Amino acid sequence: MTKALLPQLIVTTPPPLAYRLYSIWYRHIRVYCKHLVSNGFPPFVEPLFFLAGVGLGLGHYVGLIDGTPYLLFLASGMIAPSSMFTAAFECTFGTFIRLEFDKAYDGMVSASITVTDLFVGEILFVGTKGFFFTLAVMSVFTVFGLVPSYYAILTPLVGFFAGMMFGALSLFVTSFVKTINHFNFFLTGCLTPMFFFSGIVFPITNLPEWIQWVSEVFPLTHSVRLIRACCLGQFSSLLFFDILFMAAFTIIFGYLAVSRLEKRLIQ
Amino acid sequence: MTEKAIYVEHATKHFGDFKAVHNLSFEVNKATCFGLLGPNGAGKTTMMNMLTGRVRADSDNARIINVLGYDPLKNELEIRYLTGIVPQENNLDVELSVSQNLYIYSKFYGLPQNVASRRISELLEFMELTEKKEARIRELSGGMQRRLIIARALINSPHLLILDEPTTGLDPQVRQAIWDKMRMLKKTGVTIVLTTHYMDEAAQLCDDLIIMHKGEKILQGHPSALISKNLETYVLEILNTDVFSTIEAKGFRTEETAGRLMLYGDRLSSLETVTEPLNAGDFFLRPVNLEDLFLKVTGRSLHD
Repeated sequence: MTKALLPQLIVTTPPPLAYRLYSIWYRHIRVYCKHLVSNGFPPFVEPLFFLAGVGLGLGHYVGLIDGTPYLLFLASGMIAPSSMFTAAFECTFGTFIRLEFDKAYDGMVSASITVTDLFVGEILFVGTKGFFFTLAVMSVFTVFGLVPSYYAILTPLVGFFAGMMFGALSLFVTSFVKTINHFNFFLTGCLTPMFFFSGIVFPITNLPEWIQWVSEVFPLTHSVRLIRACCLGQFSSLLFFDILFMAAFTIIFGYLAVSRLEKRLIQ
Repeated sequence: MTEKAIYVEHATKHFGDFKAVHNLSFEVNKATCFGLLGPNGAGKTTMMNMLTGRVRADSDNARIINVLGYDPLKNELEIRYLTGIVPQENNLDVELSVSQNLYIYSKFYGLPQNVASRRISELLEFMELTEKKEARIRELSGGMQRRLIIARALINSPHLLILDEPTTGLDPQVRQAIWDKMRMLKKTGVTIVLTTHYMDEAAQLCDDLIIMHKGEKILQGHPSALISKNLETYVLEILNTDVFSTIEAKGFRTEETAGRLMLYGDRLSSLETVTEPLNAGDFFLRPVNLEDLFLKVTGRSLHD
């Protein structure tokens, strides 16, 4: 077979990586914003109910925690999970529906988009959701006078990276899931315990030592610590460990998720 | 010599032990329509997906897959940039409007905003959807959704258009309209690769086609050339099972199914002689078509 028989090359330049990621991000933002109120409202008010219920009720019996009034301690903790939950729901149920029911990804990868673009773009999108959810909850708490430090302006940034971290983890979980009901294991089996043992409602320092170790492995613990530090303006060099943990966790699980989902989409 | 758009030699794909496509070779000339026909599970969709890198062909030194000058294993992005794909299942974003659906896809190809909006109005015009520009996807009929998906596949002015059962489930008006659009696209230089279960569709559109069965190529050629080469000219279908035993079928190739007896012959007059004792309504006498050929070579039993 000589080369002359092959089709002639049509010179072309598909959009660069950054633009492809942007186009995926833009697609998700556009679709999400169609139902902004119903999508955004519940996760926005839920922390308020929790804060009112637990903070006002229990706060009466609890004095200072590490020198901080309980209500401030709880409020600074309650900002973190909003970003976790929005990312986790988006990248479990949302991703699965796009993958199996809507076949949205099939369409997207038939355009000039690779599977890696698809999911990295999606992780950036849930990071963005994390940013705005954190900003919203933090702003409401600020209005109620529960956020004492100006450094709280940094919390949406932590929310962005936390959203990416939980997006990567959730995509990894989704890559294993065959039917949509399996997500209950992840959401009730992993996220709920994480919520209680990440130092949101009470500090982990007084728990049995083995639980303390377990909670150091929980990704939520690290985003709680960073957000609380910003809200209360109490920084320590140990926070670098939390940043490092979040970065490593996101990269590792992001990589695993993308390569597993690639096998599912490209045979 | 005509220019080629696609060149495939010895393409093979296994899924585990299942052989989806086996040693398939074909080429597609530029600005022609090429059809992949075959029963369900014949490997048509797998072969099409191999062209755009969605399915990776088994590695084999003899294998060559070249689409518009690119190897899908190395340059899937370039191929997809030059190719429009119409999938079997509709996958529009139901939350968005008609024009928003197209706009989102224009972003995937990096079209600048002004180019995208011009292209979107052209395509809506071309697919006769201009009035539905702002409609939600839920408000569209099946035929409109299908036309919108074709418009979406054309957003980047592709050199190659890949259609996986484009007209399944559509009414005759829409089907004919879609065929007309395909012919117009071909005239502008677009190469079309198509799978279909409708033999009339293949006969209408394809300049060249292959009939696949269990992953292998059985026949290839222009539809009418294939028919005249492999079949008699006429077929007499007898539908009344009670008269089967009285039929003088000598000299004809015959085929019998549970409800029909078929006699194939080249001379109309001799088949007419057979019909003389029969009542109208007991038989059909007609020229053979691509479907007769398809059933002859892939068998009449059900495949899935």
